[in-house]
Amino acid sequence: MIKCVIWDLDETLLDGVYLESPERPPPANEALRAVLVELAGRGILHAIASRNPPTAASYAAHATGLSFAAVRCGWEAKSAAVAAIMSDVGLTADAVAFVDNDALERAEVAFALPDVLVLAPHEMTDAANWPAFSPPVLTDEARRRGEFYANRRARMAEARAFGGSREAFLRHCQTRVVIAPAAPVDLPRLHELSVRTHQFNSAGTQLTEAQFAALLDSGSQRVICVRLSDRFGDDGLVGACVIDTAAAPAGRWEVQLLMMSCRAIGRGVIDALLSWICLAARDAGADQVGVACVINPRNVPLRIALTSAGFRTETRSAAAGSAPYVRRLDPPLPELPDWVLT
Amino acid sequence: MTREREVLAELRRILADLIGNPMPLDAPAKTPLLRDGIGLDSLGATILLTRIQTLFGVDVASEDLNLDALASIGTLAAFIGERIG
Repeated sequence: MIKCVIWDLDETLLDGVYLESPERPPPANEALRAVLVELAGRGILHAIASRNPPTAASYAAHATGLSFAAVRCGWEAKSAAVAAIMSDVGLTADAVAFVDNDALERAEVAFALPDVLVLAPHEMTDAANWPAFSPPVLTDEARRRGEFYANRRARMAEARAFGGSREAFLRHCQTRVVIAPAAPVDLPRLHELSVRTHQFNSAGTQLTEAQFAALLDSGSQRVICVRLSDRFGDDGLVGACVIDTAAAPAGRWEVQLLMMSCRAIGRGVIDALLSWICLAARDAGADQVGVACVINPRNVPLRIALTSAGFRTETRSAAAGSAPYVRRLDPPLPELPDWVLT
Repeated sequence: MTREREVLAELRRILADLIGNPMPLDAPAKTPLLRDGIGLDSLGATILLTRIQTLFGVDVASEDLNLDALASIGTLAAFIGERIG
């Protein structure tokens, strides 16, 4: 699934070359502008990678009437610009498309970043109809995705200027994490998260709204939602977990699904959720928490979060395809920061 | 041993580039990679592991499921060093 399209400007998004007439720059290409608007409505982000001064990007935003989640203007290799944008928006290469009229630039990006979908402008008008550009469900969170990433840019700019620790920065941003049981109104977003999350998804399988609804009604399973906001904006429902608590007390809470949107990366959410699970399990009398986690190249960030929160696995080989990560609930248990509300 | 020193030096350069700060170039080998050490978050550490795989051909994330190699700059350099001989 493509989550961000990175656009070249000259002879691609613009009908001409920006620097040839900076006083009267070329207009936006109408066919591509329509694609941009359509994709933005599906929650797909747009970004600019252009060999131009930064003014070209502000001009393109004005000419298309759209906001861009990330911008790299300069004379570095296009693959370097694409990689920097991936890091800005927190996406991996397989969630990104790159559109450029110059065959050499396309070849350079395709060679350096083989997982990026590389397209010529005339292919892009057609590609908008491909399944990779058509998310199956669209919630309010998805429609507002462009706005979230604009907030993210502002937050990251401030983080670069901020001198203190990460914890101090989260406080400085007035970060609020709310952890609470799921309600029926959350079902579409829960399904969407199960489809769209890969880097922070323990199960690697998608659940339908009906399957989540059945879990809400079950006596032994708990569905927990995590919401995130700070003074830059409200990100809504960014994560969730499904826990089988049947074995407790004096047993093990089994986390059957743990998932988080990549927009919440670096904002303390996954650590807060893991701490909350451990504390809630201990309060319920359980003596350990298990997370059955698939092992694939995409969910490495989740596995790093699990192991750095004290979860361990006895499994030695990735060939098994999945591994149970377990944390015993012996003290000291992590504390929940006061900006996490439960 | 020389090989491990080369890996360590290369790893320091990658880290400095990754965080946009020269601090890792002369940080002690026992400096943790995550949190209060180098300060990588889970995504930063993932990008680091991807670069290591490209550069050294070592897939840390699938060879070390507990990711003990990420404990410090030194443990990661040793892990890579052992595998590239």
